[in-house]
Amino acid sequence: MELINLSIILFLIMDPIGNISSFLNMVQGIPAERRRVIIIREMFIALIAMVVFNYLGEFIFNILSVSETTLRLTSGAILFLVAIKILFPSTDSLRANLPSGEPFVTPLAIPLIAGPALLATIMLFAHLETSQEAVLGAIFVAWIAAAAILFFAAPIQRTLGNNGLMACERLMGLILVMLAIQRFLEGIQQLVKSCQL
Amino acid sequence: MSTLALALTFFLVANPVGMSPAILSMVKDYPFDRQKKIMLREGFIAFIIALFFQFCGELFLGMLKISDFALAYTGGSVLFLTALQMIFHKPEETHGPVLKQEPFIVPIATPLISGPGLMTMIMVTSRAEGNDFKITTAIVLAWIGVMTVFATAPYLQKLIGKRGLAAMEQVMGMILGLISVQMLVNGTKLFVKTLA
Repeated sequence: MELINLSIILFLIMDPIGNISSFLNMVQGIPAERRRVIIIREMFIALIAMVVFNYLGEFIFNILSVSETTLRLTSGAILFLVAIKILFPSTDSLRANLPSGEPFVTPLAIPLIAGPALLATIMLFAHLETSQEAVLGAIFVAWIAAAAILFFAAPIQRTLGNNGLMACERLMGLILVMLAIQRFLEGIQQLVKSCQL
Repeated sequence: MSTLALALTFFLVANPVGMSPAILSMVKDYPFDRQKKIMLREGFIAFIIALFFQFCGELFLGMLKISDFALAYTGGSVLFLTALQMIFHKPEETHGPVLKQEPFIVPIATPLISGPGLMTMIMVTSRAEGNDFKITTAIVLAWIGVMTVFATAPYLQKLIGKRGLAAMEQVMGMILGLISVQMLVNGTKLFVKTLA
């Protein structure tokens, strides 16, 4: 896949637009300057997690001796459930039960930005692409875009309004379901093909 | 196909007449004026989604490498979960304030009205016809019909009454289940073809 496709998919799974409202809830009452520090710090933590998985992915692959098929099925299933929680919000969802107070590592960096679905996707891409540098580039592009959106979270919320934000959240959730199902079915395709041998 | 025939096809695929009772059951807990507003809003959003898929559908799906079967499965699975919610709906549930959110975009605008069937159909016909203006006109014509149905649908409940609506929710949940599984079946057919 090309860099642009990779970055768009990674960006969508990070889902910064969908995370705006939960992020703003989290930092309610924290002054604007402190918020900026928090965003930059959390985004760097997320970036580190992503880069680590980009390089460590292959190692985890070997040590657990999982196949590419397994990774597709797993990441598809996780992403599907995460996205379904976005579409059908409930009180025990990832976004509803956030610990209050200043976010540090959890919940903003992990799992809202660099969640299990994203890390599994990065592992998959790092495995599929010929060079890990290509994936690294895609991670950077997607990360910068996501960071910019979270950085301007408050103005974006003001322009879109609560309904607009909710609309974006819903549409993103739907796109994530599509990505998840595509990934999962690719896994099944691979599984069937490997059984026919 | 002529524009009128296309418009009729789109109208039938969007199936507002068949969907209205199901949609009505979803919004039955809101005051009457609110229901009308919700239905018209969702109809309009569905229209935007239809137009989006006419012009950017292929680009969008190609960009994310989404196949047609994944589109069908997405619609099917989201609708199936909606159907389950309707069938196993517990009225006495009093969770936090997040619960009982107004239906917004999902599931009424998409995948109920602008579902995978309509999206694929719009993309396929616009590829076959190669005439953007004609397709857009057809979509607009179809949506005049859809909006008319939606504007009148809320009055249906005056006929049925509150208890009737509560009973209808169960039945419509079942119907919605059928629609969603049909989407999944269609998706599976497409998917199995890729395996061969």
